Amino acid sequence: MAAGVAAWLPFARAAAIGWMPVASTPMPPPPREKRRGQDGLIILNVSGSRFQTWRNTLERYPDTLLGSTERDFFFHEESNEYFFDRDPDIFRHILNFYRTGKLHYPRHECISAYDEELAFFGIIPEIIGDCCYEEYKDRRRENTERIQDDEENENSKDMVPPDMSFRETMWRAFENPHTSTMALVFYYVTGFFIAVSVMANVVETVPCRSEQNRAKEVSCGERYSVAFFCLDTACVMIFTVEYLLRLIAAPSRYKFVKSVMSIIDVVAIMPYYIGLVMSDNEDVSGAFVTLRVFRVFRIFKFSRHSAGLRILGYTLKSCASELGFLLFSLTMAIIIFATVMFYAEKGSTSSKFTSIPAAFWYTIVTMTTLGYGDMVPKTIMGKIFGSICSLSGVLVIALPVPVIVSNFSRIYHQSQRAEKRRAQKASKQAGQALVCKTNPTFETQHHHLLHCLEKTTNHEFVDEQTYETSCMEVSLAKASMSRSSSMSSSPHGLSSCCTRRNKRKSFNVPNSNMVAGRRGSIQELSTIQIRERPVNNSRSSLNAKFEETVPLNSEEQSYITAAVISMPTPPVTTPESGALGNCPDFLQSNIVRVSAL
Amino acid sequence: MSSRRRRCKRQLIKFTQHIARLITGTLNSDNEDEEQESTTVRCHPENLEQLQLQTHFCRQELQLLYRGFKNECPSGVVNEDTFKNIYAVFFPLGDSSKYAQFLFNAFDKDKNGSLSFEELVCDLSVLLRGTTEEKLNWAFNLYDINKDGKITKEEMLDILKSIYDLMGKSIHPRLKEEAVRQHVRIFFQKMDINQDGVVTIDEFSDCCQKDENIMQSLKIFDNAV
Repeated sequence: MAAGVAAWLPFARAAAIGWMPVASTPMPPPPREKRRGQDGLIILNVSGSRFQTWRNTLERYPDTLLGSTERDFFFHEESNEYFFDRDPDIFRHILNFYRTGKLHYPRHECISAYDEELAFFGIIPEIIGDCCYEEYKDRRRENTERIQDDEENENSKDMVPPDMSFRETMWRAFENPHTSTMALVFYYVTGFFIAVSVMANVVETVPCRSEQNRAKEVSCGERYSVAFFCLDTACVMIFTVEYLLRLIAAPSRYKFVKSVMSIIDVVAIMPYYIGLVMSDNEDVSGAFVTLRVFRVFRIFKFSRHSAGLRILGYTLKSCASELGFLLFSLTMAIIIFATVMFYAEKGSTSSKFTSIPAAFWYTIVTMTTLGYGDMVPKTIMGKIFGSICSLSGVLVIALPVPVIVSNFSRIYHQSQRAEKRRAQKASKQAGQALVCKTNPTFETQHHHLLHCLEKTTNHEFVDEQTYETSCMEVSLAKASMSRSSSMSSSPHGLSSCCTRRNKRKSFNVPNSNMVAGRRGSIQELSTIQIRERPVNNSRSSLNAKFEETVPLNSEEQSYITAAVISMPTPPVTTPESGALGNCPDFLQSNIVRVSAL
Repeated sequence: MSSRRRRCKRQLIKFTQHIARLITGTLNSDNEDEEQESTTVRCHPENLEQLQLQTHFCRQELQLLYRGFKNECPSGVVNEDTFKNIYAVFFPLGDSSKYAQFLFNAFDKDKNGSLSFEELVCDLSVLLRGTTEEKLNWAFNLYDINKDGKITKEEMLDILKSIYDLMGKSIHPRLKEEAVRQHVRIFFQKMDINQDGVVTIDEFSDCCQKDENIMQSLKIFDNAV
C-alpha cells in the first residue's frame, strides 16, 4: 500500500461504522494501538546535511532501517539527532520514498552506489516507481554483465591449477591460446593452414594457360592437380588432427559435438574424405564436384580466430526475430508486387514477365534497388507500379535494419568494453598498489589474527612463490586426539606421520575449502592425501606482506603436517573451529583433506 | 434517426478532415483533445480554530489528518473517482466501487461532487468521537440512498450487495445470491417494527440502541486517529 494511502485509513475505518447496524455478529476487538508519542520532528544528519521529517513519515515502512528501532543505533545523544555517515545526495531519494511512497532512481548516480545505499537503508529496489524502473533495470543489467565479464576474465586467466590433467590442459590451450606458447603456435599454425586451404580453393579455379597451347584453357586446378591434391591432403590432415584433439580434450564430448564450431569443422573436412571414398565412381563424380563447394566452409573456421566474426554471428542470432520479420514482410511485398506487375504487363508484347514467379525476380531486383535491367516494364501501368514497388522496397528494407544495427553495435561495444577493461586492468592494479597505503593498526591486528589461526591449525600460510604441488601419502598410525587447546602443542601425534620436505612448504587452510574427508568413526587411516591449495590474489598479497612484516617462527617448521582432528560425530568441516566439545577418548579422527583445485 | 444522421455527418466531416491532413502532411495531433480541460479546483479549509470548534478533534489530530489529506489530494478536494481508487486500495480483493460511491454520497453533504477537507473531517469527528445518536444518524443516512428519510428493501439490498462486493469472489463459504436477500430479510425483521416495509430513523435508532452487539461495535473505532 502506498504510504500516502495509509493516511486514509482512519477514514476507511470510520466509514466501517456503516457496517455495524447490518452486522449480525459481534465485531472483533480493535487492535491495541500503542500510544504514539508526540508526532515530532526527527532530525536526520547525513554527513552534514540535515534532513527533517515527521516521525510518522518514517514509520510508514517499519521494515526499513529508518522506520524501525534500528535507527536508534545511529542516534547521537550530544546533538540529539540521528547521524548517518552516508551519501547525502542519494539519501534525498531515500527520504522522498518515505514521503511519497515512490522510489526514484537518479540517472546521474552510479548504480552500484545507489544499490548500496538502498541495501543499507533496507529498501528493496523492486519498488522503484514505473517512471524510473526501465532505466534502473537497464543500468543494473549492464553492471551485472560487466561483473560477469570481469569474473570470467579472473577465472580464465589467473588460476593455473597445476595438476590439471593433460586433457584439461589441452582443452585450456585450445580455448585460450594465450595461455601457453604451444597453444599460441598451434593457433597460428591452424590459422595459416585455413588461409592456405581457402586460397588454394580459390586459385584452383583460375584459368591457367596450359603448356601445350591448347585452344581450351584449363583451370589451374586441373593443370597442377597433383600439387593441389597434396596441399588439400595436408590441410585436411591438419584439420582432422585438430578436430580429433579437440574431441579428446573436450570436457563434455557430447556438448562439443553439438557445438557450431565442431559442425563447421566436420563440414570442412568431410568433402575430402567423401571424395576419397567415391572418387572412382563416375556417376557420383558430379555430386562429388558439388561437394567441393562445402570446402568453402573452411573459411568459417576463422571465426575461432576472429572475435568480430563471432560477434557478427551472435548478433544475427540475437536479431533472429527482426530478420524473420524482414524476410516475412519482404516476401509479402514481393508476392504482391509480382502479381501486380505480371497482370500489368500481361498485355504488352514480348514481355519478359511470362509468369508470376518470373516477375519475382524483377520485384526482388527492384525492391532492393539493384535494377539489373534485364526485365523492365513497358506498359504505363507497369511503370507506375514498378516505381511504387521500388519506393516501397526501400522502406521495407530500411525499417528492420536499424534494429539489427543497434543490436550489433551494443554487442560490439560490450566486447570492446571487455577488451578495454582487460587492458586497463594492468594499469589499474599498478595504480591501486600505489594508492592504498595500508592502515598499520589494522594490518598488525589482522596479522596477529592470522598468526593465531596458523597456530591453531599448525599450518602456515604459504607464499605463492614457494608454492609447489605435492601429493603426499601420509600413513597415519593411531592418531592421538588433539583438542583445540592442545592443538598447537601436539606435534607429537602428528610428527610421526609426516615426512620432512626440504623447503619451507606448508599450505594454508582457508576455512571455506575444507572438506571433511571421512565421516564416522575412523579407527585408522591408512593414507591421507594432502594437497596444497593455491592462494588467490588477495590472500597472496597479504601473505607476502605477512612474510615480510611478521617474522614467523615457522621458518623452522619445515614439515607438512596433516590436520588431524579428532571430532565427535557429527563431523565438522573446518578444523580451525577448535571448540569441538569433549572429545571422547577413542580414535575417531576425521581427516581433513585439504585438496587443491 | 436524426441523431444517427448527425453522427454520420460528423464522421464524414472528420474523415475528410483526416484525408486533407494526410495530403497536406500536417503532423498536428487532434485539437479536439484540448477541449476537455481539467479544471483545477483549489480549495483550502477554513482555519484550524474553526475546525477545532466544529469537530471533536484536538489541534494535533487535525494537523495530522490534514497533512495526510493534503499529501494525497494536493488540490484540496477529493472527487468521486479518487475516492473510489483510494477505497480500492483497502479492499483489493473485491469490488469497492459501489460502496465507495455510497460513502461518497454520504460524505458529500452539499452534493457538489467533491469532498472538501471540512466535510471529511466533520463526518470523521462524528463517526469517531460523536454520540451514539449521531453515529446511528450517519449510518441511517448512508443506507438511505435517495435521502428521503426511509430505508426501503431495495436500498438495503443495494447497500448489502455493495458490502458483500467488498469481499470479492474468494470467500468461504461461497456467496449465494439468496444470502444477500436473506440478510435483508433479517435486517427488516429486526428493524421494521411496524412492518410497513420501510425503516424510518426512529425505528432504526430504537432497535439499534436496544441491541447490545451493535452498541458495542459502534465504539471500536473510537481511537482510530
